[in-house]
Amino acid sequence: MITDVLSWGLAALSLWSAWRVFRTDSMMRAAYLLLASFAAVGALLVLLSAEFLGLVLVLMMAGEMTIMVVFMVMFMMNPAGLNPMTMVHQHRAAVAAGIVSFAGLALVGVAGDFPDRPAADEVTTTSALGFELLGDSMLIFQSAGVTLLATMIGAVALTSRGGRFGDAHAGSDAPALAPEATASPAPATDAVEEGAHAAHEHDRHGAEGEAG
Amino acid sequence: MTVWAPAVAAVGVGAALVTGTWAVATLDTAVAGVVAGRGLHLRRAALAPLRRAALLAGRHPVTTERPDAPAWVVAGPLLLALAGAALSALPLAEGLAVADVPDGLVLYGAAMALVMVAVFLHGWAPNSVFPLIGAYRFVAQALSYQIALFLVLLGAALPAGSLGLGAIVEAQSELWNVIRQPLGLPLFLVAGTALSFWGPLALPDGEDLAGGTAAESSGRELLVWRTARAAVLVATAAVAAACFLGGWLGPVLPGPVWMVAKTLALLVILVVPAHVVPRVRIERFVSFGWTILLPLSLVDVFAAGVVALRTST
Amino acid sequence: MGLNSLRIRLAGAAPAPVFVVCGLGGRERVVDLYAEPGLQVYSTPRHAGVLLVVGRLTRGLVAPALQAHDQMASPRLVVRWTAADGDDPGDHGDVFPNAVVAHGSAAEVAAAVAAAHRELLAGDRPPSAALLADIEPAPWQGVGPYGTGGTGMTGGVPFGRPMAARAADRDDLELDQLKLRLGPLLPSLPSGLVLDVALQGDVVQSAAVGDNPYRLYAGDPVPAAPAPGLFERACHQPVRIAELERARARHHLRWAAGLARLVGLEALGVRLTTLSARLAASEESAQAERLLTRIGRSRWVAGTFAGGDLDDAGLAGLGPVARAAGSEEDARTHDPAYRALGFEPVLGEGGDTPGRVRQRLAEAVQALRLATAAGDATTTVSGVVEGPRGRLGRGAPPPSAALVDLVAGVVEGLEWGDAVAAIASLDLDVEEAARHPQMAMP
Repeated sequence: MITDVLSWGLAALSLWSAWRVFRTDSMMRAAYLLLASFAAVGALLVLLSAEFLGLVLVLMMAGEMTIMVVFMVMFMMNPAGLNPMTMVHQHRAAVAAGIVSFAGLALVGVAGDFPDRPAADEVTTTSALGFELLGDSMLIFQSAGVTLLATMIGAVALTSRGGRFGDAHAGSDAPALAPEATASPAPATDAVEEGAHAAHEHDRHGAEGEAG
Repeated sequence: MTVWAPAVAAVGVGAALVTGTWAVATLDTAVAGVVAGRGLHLRRAALAPLRRAALLAGRHPVTTERPDAPAWVVAGPLLLALAGAALSALPLAEGLAVADVPDGLVLYGAAMALVMVAVFLHGWAPNSVFPLIGAYRFVAQALSYQIALFLVLLGAALPAGSLGLGAIVEAQSELWNVIRQPLGLPLFLVAGTALSFWGPLALPDGEDLAGGTAAESSGRELLVWRTARAAVLVATAAVAAACFLGGWLGPVLPGPVWMVAKTLALLVILVVPAHVVPRVRIERFVSFGWTILLPLSLVDVFAAGVVALRTST
Repeated sequence: MGLNSLRIRLAGAAPAPVFVVCGLGGRERVVDLYAEPGLQVYSTPRHAGVLLVVGRLTRGLVAPALQAHDQMASPRLVVRWTAADGDDPGDHGDVFPNAVVAHGSAAEVAAAVAAAHRELLAGDRPPSAALLADIEPAPWQGVGPYGTGGTGMTGGVPFGRPMAARAADRDDLELDQLKLRLGPLLPSLPSGLVLDVALQGDVVQSAAVGDNPYRLYAGDPVPAAPAPGLFERACHQPVRIAELERARARHHLRWAAGLARLVGLEALGVRLTTLSARLAASEESAQAERLLTRIGRSRWVAGTFAGGDLDDAGLAGLGPVARAAGSEEDARTHDPAYRALGFEPVLGEGGDTPGRVRQRLAEAVQALRLATAAGDATTTVSGVVEGPRGRLGRGAPPPSAALVDLVAGVVEGLEWGDAVAAIASLDLDVEEAARHPQMAMP
């Protein structure tokens, strides 16, 4: 009985917070409402005896939503929604796509044949998951893992010490005279020369930075 | 019994949090007094947290301009609840735990991943510059230690063949993990200091940021935040005691006494650097986390895996 | 109620939470406050309950002090630490009605503050009410075609602050850039320094020093000239070398205490401050020497600080800052009394922040050793003296005036923590810079 109440409540929480994601003006709140929705789904997974999956879902989504928020703060002019500007683009196309995907997923949910036998007590999902990952589904997960590793290496290479315009420790570009003007290619080349010059002169400090 | 179990559990976890945070604050004040040249006054150090808490409890709340009120209200209690969740999976003695789930380690991991969310909420909410800088500084710090933290814990779980904290402690009955996995405890302590942003890694709440994420907090909200920070440190020390120092295992004294003693010892090790080691620069910590901490934790988990394979075949 | 009175008694026994407003003539006194056990000085007014105004509150400090006062959480109190002799007509401290006035040494003032705070908590003293009106800085709602206060969908200045505009960073990414004015009361900056920064994330893209709040305007009464310090007197009359070098070591120790606080070592800062007051005793002097040597060890300093390069052009007469960058200029080398003691200027290891920090710590150790070796030797009067910040005397501008000009260049491109440490490594005194008659006002 308690599990029934909990599962209905968590499902309602998940749906409500997912709806609020699109109704709120603050992008930070949108990201964390999405996290709340995922956390409710994770709790549902725990109720379905898939504790490992549920907790790992919460673990991963916490980090991912936070990174999303940090990117919003970095690039958006209005991340808190304090300025009443409209934050949506291509409104009609997005609504249409949402309706189509909802129809598709609802079809799967309603017409699909889900098992309804209770889980045996001695089955631990963690070991079952482990055997599945390293047994029948090994090819899928290992290729996904290698792809992710390649992505991470690429990201690190892009942001590494030798940045695109010179040594990342050579200091920042001089800002444009008018604060809203976007950077033109000319300052970038100056930065390359400055960066190279600085790298030669302050080699000692660069070396200290490397060690530190 | 089952009806009262949640209430008893909540009281137990609450008592552990209160005594643990008081112990952390006492140790902190005592060590500060020694380093400042005023001598070790344990009685005064034990009363100081109560006095500071009484002072903070009497101050009225402040508000800034257009804060994110729900986020501000949630942040402190969320951090405290996460520390409580981590403590609830810990066994004090064989079978004596609030919720010794078979996935206790993953519960701890999920709770500690949400710490990043709580700190970011606390920094975002006041709508002020220095708290926001503290918040995303912590995100950079958190991403750098997180993988290493989980890998080291997985290494500790491998000899037990289970992710439950009770099983991990029982698997140390011949030999503690701190001896058969020498890299584990030091790496975990470093990652744990970064997780609870204490001492040399107190970057989100640093002095150079005028108090960082707590710069605009006052009164009860500040009291809850500081208590929650200390609570996360207690949870880290307790999990380290269980996973690396053998938890309740020990010769003469009963299990819970050993558990508390080991946690206190680790708390001393975690609190002393706060007054002796200067705060690490964020750039330095991020590069340390990815270039040194992560590879060493990979070495640790591979070594633990090889040992587990050899002993099982 | 028993519980409430217990809470009040406990709270009264805690160190009084203080936020310091450092006025004209207050800098040295403020350093002593950090070491007082009855006070806890906080870096943000939100954590404090007592606003302690030290020295004369100049015209430029009135608005920031009022803001800091209103930011404190109620119940709050203002205490003014003034000189004992009479009123200072240029002091605008009367903007705080009901302020408690305290005189004397740091210990006496700390006791007075603690007593006043206890009365406040017990209800015997009325809390200070808000002094600024709670109004929006700039009305913007409903203005313009979208109600955003400007033209277009994204224009306007909501809440009186322009929205962050995007600008290129060093990798040519277009990130938001935040323009801020960091005020004269920020404890991580030298008191009185106003910095207009453009931040991208926590990296300082550009910085400029704002108006000096200690500056005296045309109608302000000039404060009574402070008694000349030891270094000023050494320009005209012979002074015992031991005393002079001890004063130099004392200055550097107190600077190091401030730096220790910045990197989170508050207890170490208290130790350094208490040692600085007792350097005349040989045991404390030896302890200070050992502590400074341990702190100045190369790897520790190099790991904690970085950046802030300054090349040695334009650093003439700037003491440790110049010598760290490679200059060998030290007025003491021309003094035969110092040469007789075997004095050699300390060799600099680099013009960046760790180099400057190590230079000052090494010079403090050298000063302590000279003090113990000097015996009764006295300086030779030559009109020029090597002060702890740079060259003093004979019409030379105060070193802080030139140091303030270096601030904008030294923080550019640094992450915020490194920027604050770089400014601290320059050892500025904004009040000294304000006394310079030729200082150009922006």
